[in-house]
Amino acid sequence: MTDGIKRRDFLKVLGASSAGATMTGCGPSEVEKLLPYVVQPEEITPGVATWYATTCGCAHGCGLWVRTREGRAVKIEGNPDHPISQGGVCLQGHASLQHLYNPDRFAGPMIREGDRFRQGSWDEAERLLAAKIGQNTAAGRDVMFIGGHMGPAMSRLVDEFLEGVNGSRVEYHAVSDAPLREATRLAYGVNELPRYDIEASDFLLSFSNDFVDDGSVADDRGLSRMHSVDEGEHSKGTFAYLGPRLSTTGLNADEWLPIKSGSEAVVALAMAAHIAGSDHSGPYANLLQAYSIGDAAAASGIDEDSLRDLADRFSAAERPLAMGPGVGGHHRNSTAANLAALVLNHVAGAVGTTVHVGGGSVAASSPFSDMLKAISEMASGQFGVAFVHGANPAYSLPEGSGFSEAFDQIPFKVSFASAMDETAAMADLIMPDRHFLESWGDAMPRKGVHTVQQPVMQPVPHFDSKQAGDVLLAVASHLGTGIGASTFYEYLRAPHQAMHADDPTGFEQVWREHLRTGMFGMGMMGGGGDTQVPELRVPDRALTFDGPSFDGPGDLTLIVHPSPRFRGGEYSNSPWMLELPDPVSKITWHSWLEMNPATAEARGVREGDIVTVVSDHGAVDVPVWVYPGIREDAVALAMGSGHTEMGRWATGAGVNAMDLLPSVAEPLSGGFVTVGTMVSVTPTGERRRMATIEGSSDQRDRPIAPAVAFLDLGHSEDGHADDGAHHGELMELQGYGGVQPVPAQDGASTAYPLPGADHGLYANAHEGPRWGMAIDLDKCTGCSACVVACHSENNVPWVGEDQVVMGRDMTWMRIERYYEHVDASHASHLDVRFLPMLCQHCGNAPCEPVCPVYATYHTPEGVNAQIYNRCVGTRYCANNCPYKVRVYNWYRYTDENVPEPMNWQWNPDVTVRTNGIMEKCSFCMQRIKDAENRAALEEGRDVRDGEIVPACQQSCAAEAIVFGNLRDPDSKVSQILESERTYKVLDELINTQPAVNYLKKVTFHEVSGGH
Amino acid sequence: MAIGTTERGALTHPDVHRLDDVNRDVLKMLTVPGKGWWMLFGMCIAGVGLFLSAWFWQIYKGIGVSGLMSPVGWGVYITTFVFWVGIAHSGTLISAILFLFRAPWRQSIYRAAEAMTVFAVMTAGLFPLIHVGRVWHAYWLIPYPNSRFLWPNFKSPLVWDVFAVTTYFTVSAVFFYLGTIPDVAAARDRATGLRRKLYSVISLGWQGTDRQWHHFGKAYIFLAALATPLVLSVHSVVSWDFAMSIVPGWHATIFAPYFVAGAIFSGVAMVITLVVPLRKIFGLEAYLTTKHFDAMAKLCLFTSLIVLYAYLSEFFLAWYSGEDPERHAFWNRLFGTYWWATWTMLVCNGFVPIMLWFKRIRHSIPALFVISIFINIGMWFERYVIVVTSLHNEYEPFAWGIYRPSVIEMSIMVGSFFWFGFWFLLFTRLLPPIAIQELKEVLPPPMRKKRSPEVAEAHQ
Repeated sequence: MTDGIKRRDFLKVLGASSAGATMTGCGPSEVEKLLPYVVQPEEITPGVATWYATTCGCAHGCGLWVRTREGRAVKIEGNPDHPISQGGVCLQGHASLQHLYNPDRFAGPMIREGDRFRQGSWDEAERLLAAKIGQNTAAGRDVMFIGGHMGPAMSRLVDEFLEGVNGSRVEYHAVSDAPLREATRLAYGVNELPRYDIEASDFLLSFSNDFVDDGSVADDRGLSRMHSVDEGEHSKGTFAYLGPRLSTTGLNADEWLPIKSGSEAVVALAMAAHIAGSDHSGPYANLLQAYSIGDAAAASGIDEDSLRDLADRFSAAERPLAMGPGVGGHHRNSTAANLAALVLNHVAGAVGTTVHVGGGSVAASSPFSDMLKAISEMASGQFGVAFVHGANPAYSLPEGSGFSEAFDQIPFKVSFASAMDETAAMADLIMPDRHFLESWGDAMPRKGVHTVQQPVMQPVPHFDSKQAGDVLLAVASHLGTGIGASTFYEYLRAPHQAMHADDPTGFEQVWREHLRTGMFGMGMMGGGGDTQVPELRVPDRALTFDGPSFDGPGDLTLIVHPSPRFRGGEYSNSPWMLELPDPVSKITWHSWLEMNPATAEARGVREGDIVTVVSDHGAVDVPVWVYPGIREDAVALAMGSGHTEMGRWATGAGVNAMDLLPSVAEPLSGGFVTVGTMVSVTPTGERRRMATIEGSSDQRDRPIAPAVAFLDLGHSEDGHADDGAHHGELMELQGYGGVQPVPAQDGASTAYPLPGADHGLYANAHEGPRWGMAIDLDKCTGCSACVVACHSENNVPWVGEDQVVMGRDMTWMRIERYYEHVDASHASHLDVRFLPMLCQHCGNAPCEPVCPVYATYHTPEGVNAQIYNRCVGTRYCANNCPYKVRVYNWYRYTDENVPEPMNWQWNPDVTVRTNGIMEKCSFCMQRIKDAENRAALEEGRDVRDGEIVPACQQSCAAEAIVFGNLRDPDSKVSQILESERTYKVLDELINTQPAVNYLKKVTFHEVSGGH
Repeated sequence: MAIGTTERGALTHPDVHRLDDVNRDVLKMLTVPGKGWWMLFGMCIAGVGLFLSAWFWQIYKGIGVSGLMSPVGWGVYITTFVFWVGIAHSGTLISAILFLFRAPWRQSIYRAAEAMTVFAVMTAGLFPLIHVGRVWHAYWLIPYPNSRFLWPNFKSPLVWDVFAVTTYFTVSAVFFYLGTIPDVAAARDRATGLRRKLYSVISLGWQGTDRQWHHFGKAYIFLAALATPLVLSVHSVVSWDFAMSIVPGWHATIFAPYFVAGAIFSGVAMVITLVVPLRKIFGLEAYLTTKHFDAMAKLCLFTSLIVLYAYLSEFFLAWYSGEDPERHAFWNRLFGTYWWATWTMLVCNGFVPIMLWFKRIRHSIPALFVISIFINIGMWFERYVIVVTSLHNEYEPFAWGIYRPSVIEMSIMVGSFFWFGFWFLLFTRLLPPIAIQELKEVLPPPMRKKRSPEVAEAHQ
């Protein structure tokens, strides 16, 4: 057998699944090569997309719909039927395409010869591996399997395989929830993660829990839903963040209490004690009596009144929720901190309403201590063969862990990495795995949610890859320890076949339905977790809730947190991720050290100064970014940068935060400690220009990202936006776009816009739709998934670090981040305004009249269109654009930067732009036309509201973006814009009459600036 | 140096007595060039090489080799474009307007000034081509009949600019050419060989008959009248490239007169910069006297006051508008990232010319030369300030950015001076740089009795 999957079976199923997929009714079929079509397959209509349901690769296991064109995956979107992700996709999900088409993937199995690798055949590689395992077993040595995240079927297969070869397995993730899991076990005796129902809560406390940054679209949506204002009900959930540093999550908070690193437990217990009062009984009664608000104030550095007030409001809330430290806040006592948060929840009555014990994610909770144990075993010479699958410990462990030395001792090391990484570089044999979009599998992100992972295209032909499951099956059969399936596909199907053996419709029919929906077992969805309130137990281990210890003599606490873009570093070799501005710092490509302005000033450090950060465990040189969202006694560094062997883009970009960290497992849970060391920071005297897209974070009271106080809502005199009241018909007119004549009143025109405006450029009234958008700033969490979705949909090129430094980023959409009321000197809010800025499609567009060749013009449907072919490149339009949303092709970014097969990711519906021309957001014109044509041709009707979904709206888990016809008063967008919060950026200043409308952010404090 | 005081002789040195002295002195310039000329010409050739290679590199690689970025889409190229258009102004002003106003001091400088105009427009005209992203499509800005009925956007100031600059170039080139015809004929009469043939063609068979002189005079007045409004219109249109936008710092009604005054200011300064070495190299002290420089200095002084007034009124109006984008734009000019450019502009254009109030300075040619250099620098920076500081901090603070010109851009900018110098040096060698026939008009008519040197001495 030379191929892991029987190609005929594979394609038969694929064809069958897509025949069932009624979305378009097309699919690839039995052809060896996808292009060119000598004989055109019947199922593929060139130019028409085919969609497949599958599951995303990370532990969150979001459901995907993958759009393919002519047999190539070109766009990833969320599966709206998926019970957890509900149609949302995170940044990394979109960027999976770049990992699929990554030119740095291995061309085939690589066999080490001295210092180099030689490409071999699969048969050769598998026989070699089988032989090595055979020798190893004969020598009486064991096999080690270091695995990252994998689906249940693969996990089962690995266990079966290891049984046959005397192997042991360690699961390792750079980021994990082990402390929360252990805390839940201690508190309730349930060794599972609890599920936080963020959406249901009305008062959310996050103790250094960065759930938005962690890539959970469900939590992102939950935050948006609980925290955004409901104007009808006049309600809005409160979100307070307690932690030393504001992550993207924290920037959404209404209040920030910058408590000291490690004081979460004391603060949570003190709040619980305050709420419970003296009549509390139960296993924690004595403990609670030991903590008072005064203790918490002393430990956290926050004044007593603020904490007491917070506790009072928390207990008064109907459905409060407190979240203990997540992966960005794991210190040496984080299990206790999570336990304290659970106690606070329990006391406040949150358990059973917003905290469901059990039913959380079942993955990603493997402790770091297991890995440390495995390292010491490896160092002892017990293992002769080691496998690494889905993990990169040589990069993501601190040097102090001794992984590299121990791993190096193993005589035969096998990596399943599909592209080079730091661990694969040490391997003796590399058996490149397939990307999840090319392979079979399943996922179980939560109990009761079991989803299908199916190939959406034939494997990218540049890379002779083979699914790890098939490799293990083949090796097992070489070894004579057959597992009972010839391909992983069969192995995956077998249990389902057994389960549905009696199904009257026949198993094939059931299986087809699984593939169509992307789900196994449709009846088992829903929330999961118990709504009963379990009893608190007496903890079975000794606990201390005092502040954790920190290493080293430095004077600043180092906070190492997973990057919102690279997470632990596995997503780093993607230009989309590298060039995406970090949601917090807006810096691309390189690393930065976050430092409070007061700290920076005291040390004479300015933004862009390169400093040496020294801990007991290592030192890195990194430029400083001055950030008011971090405590004065802390600095922060993101994970995921500083790769040494990870492909052309990630290698050398930034520094690795692990170089500074001790190799310490948290004593109780064994979780990896990321906030555990002190550092000293000294300037090197060198500076650099930051690769940032941020010009100024001060909106200077201009009408850009205003806010409205919650108490002021509903008090506007006419129930309409203030702006509209001044300008008479302007609001109405703006709905149509274009300068329109003002209806005369008593023979006199009503002033504004000018009466002569009906002779303007776009005066001829058009009866069709006027496309427009509503963006609710109260919902936007700043996560930036829309930006990556836009890149993917519209073939937006990346330009590289040097070009971003020059200010030439090409993004069509940027999330602006303004600060208001910055005062980090005391416990107070940092009022942050996220503003997704894209082409505003102005009715009275400043860019249009200045173009000498009509390369930019207004369509009758109100879209400001850009004709790339006609553009000469005078750049006058960009100069005259007050929103600065026009981007220019300074070089041939689309061909020079994009090596084969990375160019396969281009969306064939959108042209790639050449050197010397302007481009910008088109409202996803290709999607508008597709929907219009489909409606007209297939059903002979007009397009319905909601049929057109631009890429940004599609990916917005926070539901902040709504696109539609402004001229139709019943459309969703028109309904939303009825809100009194509606405004248009800069419009009152320059009368641009944009089609993109924003809804003001709602704050609980009075709006002092930028309203 | 002695200066004649009689009405007609006032503008020439008393050593120049006879009409054929003029022919001799002027046409002498067209014969064997000196070492200095060759050195300058060699430098210019090298500079043009730099200019063209930088430009070709940019066309090959993309406009990205410049330092331009978002939000500063226009930079050194447009700055230099406006600078050269401005330089082009004084030529027509001196030759046409002063001709119509019968200002006699123009005679000895107007030919050089006019040549400067033509070459400056030729230089300026390259910059819009240099700065567009796809120069091979730049002809789309010209309205021409085509099968797809695509026309340029006549609402765009850039299209107006195409018309303004091409019209100005056409008229000033024709005007320049017309004025040279009698002089080229004079040169033809002395030349031999190929040069004679060339001059014969260029001079269109000029014989110097009464009838020809009559037509010449009429045509010259006619063209002068035609060129006069262009002096005002061209730079007004160029200013509208900025004023028609909504960029704070560009969108101002004062721009047209402000730009025209600035253009004349810089143009006259450039004439001084060019004529001083010309006078030295070719020994034209007898024809270019302090009187000429005095008059040009006064024109500079006058226009510098207008320009200074425009600066101050811009700052005032920005404050008076009460709007933050407007106020910030001007505050940012003075104290922002590019403060040095603004202060260079203010010092060079507003304060240095104050020295021209003093007659001693106006009569000192070295001092004038130095001041004129300052003005040239100041006027380049004025355009840089307008273009760059306005763009880099516009309405949307999050999109603010800082522009740094690249080596390629600076090479093209510096190279453009050599390109200009190349043509100007060729001009001094191929055409009479001083108008022979007009100079003769101001000389005393030939008398039967020669004035003795003593008489001339007594005349003073």
